[in-house]
Amino acid sequence: MIIFFVLPLLLTVVWSVFERTMFWMEPAFTLFSYENFFFSSRLENFLSSMFHSSISVVCAFFIGFPIAIFIRRRVRKVAQHRVMLLFILPFMVSEIIRIFALRPILSRNGVVNSFLMDMNLIESPFSIFVFTPTGVVIGEIVSFLPFMIFSTFLALEAIPNYIFEVCADLGVNRRRMFKDIFLPLAAPGLFAGSVFIFVNGIGIALIPTILGGPGSVNAGLIATQAIIALDFPLAMAVSAIMMFTLMGLLYLGHRLFNLTKLLEPIS
Amino acid sequence: MSLRDDFQPKWKLLLKWGWLSFAVFILMAPTFYTVYISFNELGFGAKYYNFTFQWYENVFSDKQLIGALGWTMLLAIITLPIVIPFGLLSAKLYKQSTQKVWIVFVLLSPLFVPADILASALLVFFKNLNKFFTLIGEYTGIYSLDTWFDLGIMTAVIGLIVYTLPYVFVVIMITMARYRNEQTEAARDLGASAWRAFWEIEFPQIRAGVFSACAFVVILTFNEYTRTSLLKGGFDTFTSVLISQMLNTGMSEESYAMASIVSLVAVVIVSTILIVTAIKTEELEKKTRIVKEPNK
Repeated sequence: MIIFFVLPLLLTVVWSVFERTMFWMEPAFTLFSYENFFFSSRLENFLSSMFHSSISVVCAFFIGFPIAIFIRRRVRKVAQHRVMLLFILPFMVSEIIRIFALRPILSRNGVVNSFLMDMNLIESPFSIFVFTPTGVVIGEIVSFLPFMIFSTFLALEAIPNYIFEVCADLGVNRRRMFKDIFLPLAAPGLFAGSVFIFVNGIGIALIPTILGGPGSVNAGLIATQAIIALDFPLAMAVSAIMMFTLMGLLYLGHRLFNLTKLLEPIS
Repeated sequence: MSLRDDFQPKWKLLLKWGWLSFAVFILMAPTFYTVYISFNELGFGAKYYNFTFQWYENVFSDKQLIGALGWTMLLAIITLPIVIPFGLLSAKLYKQSTQKVWIVFVLLSPLFVPADILASALLVFFKNLNKFFTLIGEYTGIYSLDTWFDLGIMTAVIGLIVYTLPYVFVVIMITMARYRNEQTEAARDLGASAWRAFWEIEFPQIRAGVFSACAFVVILTFNEYTRTSLLKGGFDTFTSVLISQMLNTGMSEESYAMASIVSLVAVVIVSTILIVTAIKTEELEKKTRIVKEPNK
């Protein structure tokens, strides 16, 4: 893992300052690739993909967190893992297939629009579900929601049951329980899930390619397009920027919440 | 499984179960829809539904696809015996180590690094390794290493190992968590070698996790696209054929059938593992209850 994962990612920083040649790159020190990224529309696209990923994180939080709390609090201990396993199934189906299949479901003459029109809820079909930023957000939620539920549940699983019993005995209301128990104690899981969705949202090229339409570009797409155009230093600069974003977020999360706590229930 | 909490109105609990089921349904909807369309003779968007296996027959008579299936299977077969021992060793190292943060960081980070970014970095890394070995060849006269990292099976397998190792590590670690190290210590005290203690005492207890990890590796290999497509070189895998068909000619009925095959195989394998694990856990809990409370 050190040779084939850590080293290549660290070396992206070195390669990103190399000079581009016709088909490859040669050792040099130039910040041209970074200039090319930060002073062009690529930065705008990058920031826009960050914004859309942030929306996906917020949506995944509102959909996934209540589910994780429900499983932890209301399902019998022996059945909790079985219910969690329901969310493994979609995760095991290829992401490509799930994303591609969203097209016919969400398109103008797709299942969702047909259903809404058949129910007389709308007069004309919605066209905002695919080939728009909304489509990208939907794609990211469908792809990454299970991870938010897993990581949050893992964090909640580490909370001893007596805490809930004490709260019930003291008559703590639901709002306070959420604010003072669930939210702070599930914070490592929430953070890990959010980082996963955020970073993959700005780094996986497939979702904007299939559901985003023209103009929908993220860091992953910029990197792969740069490789196709044989601009390897630019691709490496984008990779380095992504790596620093990820490392920064994980370091911050670990300092704030001690992310290793997440593995305690399963180790 | 049963509903809990006597103080909550039943309709509220049902509402929460409904929300959970709705989320699972939404996550599975693309897969269900793909399977549904794959059996329609008239394809997507048709007013009527005529059940047929025709698209599946077309898929299985497609030589390119059968070839791609073979290549994907080969990748899975090569990846498995490498990644499973790595996963086992990593999980054991994690349990024994005091520096857990670094092990977790190195082993689980690939989950967080987007596929396109890791694939781009590995692609450039392999190309540089080739240039490095060519340079060494020029100085030493040993040219056998020149083509080691040419894009092909080996580079694709390396990409798959980096991708699947975190999953294998987590799955094996979950089963290892139930294992008590005192059993190994007892075996060693009785004179068993480290290998024998592992093979005869520990392995039978974590076998389910190891087999589940094997299944996960095969499924992930069949699902993987981005890393493999950048690192595989000249051959085609199942997903690369699928994607090229989808992007070049749109979602044909054969594409739906191909996607359904991959999805259904994954769903059946994972469901089987989940059901078997659930039954075994239940049996184990029953036995524990009987030992703890023999009179009940």
